[in-house]
Amino acid sequence: MAVRWSSEFYTAMEHKDLQANAMAVDNTGTYVLLAGRRYIAIKNLDDTDLENVRKFPRQSKYDVSAAEWNPISHQSELCVISSNQRLEVLTWRLGELTQMHSLRAHTRVITDLNWHQSNPNLLASCSVDTFIHIWDMRDPRRPASSLSAIAEASQVRWNRISSNLLATAHDGDVKLWDQRKGSAPVQYIAAHLSKIYGLDWSQQSETQLATSSQDNTIKFFDTNNPRKAEFVLTTNAPVWRARYTPFGNGLVTVVVPQLRRGENSLFLWNTTSRATPVHTFVGHRDVVLEFEWRKQRPGENDFQLVTWSKDQTLLVWRIEPFLQKLCGHDPDNHGKAERMHNEITDVSSEKKVASKIQPLQQEFSLLNVQIPNLEVLKMDAIRRSCTVLANTNNFSVILNVTFPNSYPNGVPPIFQIGEGSSVDETIAGKLIQTLTTTAQQRVSKNRTCLEPCLRQFVVTLEQLVDPSDGSRHHQPVYLESDVLGSFNDACIPFPRTSGAKFCSVSVLVCFTRQSPARRASVKIDSTTPRALSALGNAFNSRRANEYMTVYSYYLQKQRSRIKQNNRVLQKTVITVYDAADLFSVNKQLAEKYILDGDTSKICRHNALMAESIGRWDLVQAWSLARLIVNPQQVEQEDMLEHPFGNQLIQSLINFYATHSDLQMAAMLCCVFGKGEDENVRRKSFLKYLSSGQLASGKKWLKSGGSPYHTIPPADVVADGWVFPLLRTTRSNSLDNLRMEELPQLIPQRTSTSTLYEYYKLAYAEILHRWGLLYNRAEVLKYLSAPGEIHKGVEFLTDCQKCKQPARGSSCLNCKQLSLECVVCHISVRGSANCCLVCGHGGHTKHMQQWFEENNVCPTGCGCKCLLETIGMFNF
Amino acid sequence: MVSILNTIDTGHEDMIHDAEVDYYGLRLATCSSDNSIKIYDIKNGAHMLLEDLKGHFGPVWQIAWGHPKFGNLLASCSYDRKVIIWKEQQGKWSKYYEYANHDSSVNSVQFAPPAYGLILACGSSDGCISVLTYQSETNTWEAKKIQNAHAIGCNAISWSPSITPEPAFDNHQPQTLTKRLVSGGCDNLVKIWREDGDRWVEESKLEVHSDWVRDVAWAPSIGLSRHIIASCSQDRRVIIWTSEDCQTWNSSVMHTFDDVVWNVSWSLNGNILAVSGGDNKVTLWKQNLEGNWQCISDVVKGQGQISGDQRAL
Repeated sequence: MAVRWSSEFYTAMEHKDLQANAMAVDNTGTYVLLAGRRYIAIKNLDDTDLENVRKFPRQSKYDVSAAEWNPISHQSELCVISSNQRLEVLTWRLGELTQMHSLRAHTRVITDLNWHQSNPNLLASCSVDTFIHIWDMRDPRRPASSLSAIAEASQVRWNRISSNLLATAHDGDVKLWDQRKGSAPVQYIAAHLSKIYGLDWSQQSETQLATSSQDNTIKFFDTNNPRKAEFVLTTNAPVWRARYTPFGNGLVTVVVPQLRRGENSLFLWNTTSRATPVHTFVGHRDVVLEFEWRKQRPGENDFQLVTWSKDQTLLVWRIEPFLQKLCGHDPDNHGKAERMHNEITDVSSEKKVASKIQPLQQEFSLLNVQIPNLEVLKMDAIRRSCTVLANTNNFSVILNVTFPNSYPNGVPPIFQIGEGSSVDETIAGKLIQTLTTTAQQRVSKNRTCLEPCLRQFVVTLEQLVDPSDGSRHHQPVYLESDVLGSFNDACIPFPRTSGAKFCSVSVLVCFTRQSPARRASVKIDSTTPRALSALGNAFNSRRANEYMTVYSYYLQKQRSRIKQNNRVLQKTVITVYDAADLFSVNKQLAEKYILDGDTSKICRHNALMAESIGRWDLVQAWSLARLIVNPQQVEQEDMLEHPFGNQLIQSLINFYATHSDLQMAAMLCCVFGKGEDENVRRKSFLKYLSSGQLASGKKWLKSGGSPYHTIPPADVVADGWVFPLLRTTRSNSLDNLRMEELPQLIPQRTSTSTLYEYYKLAYAEILHRWGLLYNRAEVLKYLSAPGEIHKGVEFLTDCQKCKQPARGSSCLNCKQLSLECVVCHISVRGSANCCLVCGHGGHTKHMQQWFEENNVCPTGCGCKCLLETIGMFNF
Repeated sequence: MVSILNTIDTGHEDMIHDAEVDYYGLRLATCSSDNSIKIYDIKNGAHMLLEDLKGHFGPVWQIAWGHPKFGNLLASCSYDRKVIIWKEQQGKWSKYYEYANHDSSVNSVQFAPPAYGLILACGSSDGCISVLTYQSETNTWEAKKIQNAHAIGCNAISWSPSITPEPAFDNHQPQTLTKRLVSGGCDNLVKIWREDGDRWVEESKLEVHSDWVRDVAWAPSIGLSRHIIASCSQDRRVIIWTSEDCQTWNSSVMHTFDDVVWNVSWSLNGNILAVSGGDNKVTLWKQNLEGNWQCISDVVKGQGQISGDQRAL
């Protein structure tokens, strides 16, 4: 009976052969259940005899992975333990432990369980089999409901306030479920990149939860805004459990037991100042397996923490008022504050107002005051005001913030620059404007805005730097969590450090990170991380005041020295490649090809050009094309009339198109598609003649000559879709045949013609990119669809007869030519020049001749056209 | 063989995240973790720094050149949640428009094909896609937001080409062009969006990738009435999606790489795909006549040479 008393903790039990790995403290704070493979033990904490333990042998192959007492007082004798795939519900009554139910439904080992926080009949359990079962003690044969999570679950926790909400942890993610809607999670939080070990809901707030993970961090989430963690607490080892304290803003954490890093302590943190733990509980001689809060006894100031360690001792720690104070909980003032709270409620007689103080108070308490260059002078939740002092760049500015009653529901706080600030009015105005904008953005979504505003305040001040201080401009702020630190980097993809982009026609731009050492073959031990937060973690586990950049990430990965200054060492080089040879389009050819003139001449010329740059494949194609249009060279019958001529061209075009040689495809389309637009127009004309009159239309078409006429009719020439040269010798019924076929042929042609139009357009774009505008215009001339209508400044002339504005050379109203040359008094059809000021003008040639000698308008109106026009353009 | 036109030491103080050459191939823009954007004149092998744009307060992830018919425009997006459109006026670059209506890092920007007008799309880690349309009558930008396009975040966007050989040409009516976007995100999905009236609707949801999609690229049509999209992912795969009608999409895995794939880019002809990723390598891929994708070259960094086989014709 040697109770080891110390100021801080006492040993409640020491028992070597228990080998328990699960522990639970009951609702009354009296009994502790310890469960292991061999025994279940119950210890009365009020009993100071170390050895006095009730042991119940439990012959089982399996360890107990989790145990919990029912938290509801009238069912507090119930407790549940998990044993492999089963749950055992036990009753502790009159010193006897009896098994009530054995719950079987899971098919793999159960990882965690949790009683419902308000309904004593409900219990949730989760397992590696990916299911989360909710059990009702009134019907223990099967789960009352099951949630299917796809991924295996490691933790399950009911919300402490909302009775329907529960959270489960799956590897690095958290899923939130509503038990009424079990088909799918209601929320999904991508919390960590590493496994989550512990999950806990806040004691006070329905929407707050904390996760602890392998990645050394504890993240705090607001389920209303699960996209980013509200804040992150970083430790130096993987965190096994993180649980909220029942008082203040505290949080207790332990490291992962399997790691056995010699860290046998528990840490107490204040979540509002997250740099270091506020207290360390030292006492265990081996790793802590489980800890739980003991219910506070009435009349006691202390809270008690019960811990069970691998050293087989059960310790009870007193959390004395000074420790509670460190967590932002003042046991003395607690009553006072409550009283004050009540007073306000009384005075206002409107509960709403009083309840509004709460969010502000909460915001104040959650405020991370460790903003560089900023000092909080005063925070008064009752008066709803806050005063801060910023000292940066020789500026020292006092900012008063007043929060209106309806803040933060759409109403921003009021900012004022306090007296004694060393900024002039313009800067002060600017500051306030920036702050109001920032605040407005937040409160428009009903979010609190104090911290972002304060950070913005400092940043804005820092940006007011006088330009002489040039060294400051580059700061990789994003990793230093300055302005932007509140972002959840876990959702932002890891930055690209290499890339390749095809640009313009055939330019390939590449950049890669330079390997610092010449060793190019450093083996990369792991794949590249996916999210930006990888940088943050690597950074946090190292020293605190060094920037972690993408570059140093790779440096670190290659285990090189990081002593050198990162920024000097690296070279950021971009290589621009000319990948023209990978493509069949050729700029030289584009310049040399012609599209004007006789088809066979075009083919001959283009074949020569292809030869000149050594593209023999194209020489052949052009020669073949020439044979098609130039039948004289072939002894045989005319290729045009030859049924294969047409098809040959089409298959040539098709071939080049499928080989992505847009240049050749488009050229062929242009050269052989000359008649096509004609063709399309004819088609529409035929339609216009109405289908009923098609026969007469045919007759009309035929009227150029009888079927036996030896000279082909002009219409038929225009009809040939490709072939400008038609045989001139014989004629037979083929002419008629073509006419008959015409209506059927057209649809087939137009379907391909859309493709051909596309080739021309695409080739025109390539020419545009090469800057070959003339060649582009030539290609565009072959488009059957009109180019886009010019938008922008356009010159209109007023018709001289009817005084209506006329576009183009003739007036639409009176059909007269609209512009008369002021020199020769003849209407202008072709190119014209006009003075922008007096509006007089005429044939370009005449105007040119005139203004070579004169500088006033030929009409004698006195306008100095040249000077005036130049003046206008300068404007 | 591919020859080096130019090697430019950008002098960025941190990693480069994107680089792009303008429409004519005359100017190069780069962006970096040092929060700046630099513009170089690379005409005829020169490399002269024209401008060093500072305006972002975070690393700049991506840049995009506009079509020259709208003037010289450059869009950039950054970790600081902003999208900035820069414009050159009288040889000087300045901020033309700033869009700050995203709640998280903006990861991708791209201008729409010029036939649609001056439109910019941006995808952000807040899960939304914004489509900014310039209204020339009022000289303003109108923003449309696709809320919650991708759970957790949108990583990449790409426009469908405007000139497609679709059978609507023959009737001389001006064709009404259907605007489409493809996006990839942290929900491992590739999604196709279609503008329907004044809204954007999700047309297809392509689900094959098993990890975050890092980049998507809609290929320029190569003369076949077929749509092709390439997507790459953290799962180390590049997937080629093809469709005749934009409704049903077929997927085929082009290749599984050794490390995560960050970047896919189509050539203007739409027949060569450049791929780069975490392993610091750039590879070029081309489909052979049997329809299989072959690696035709490999850029080994430091060597500066692309060794590839001959052009395929």
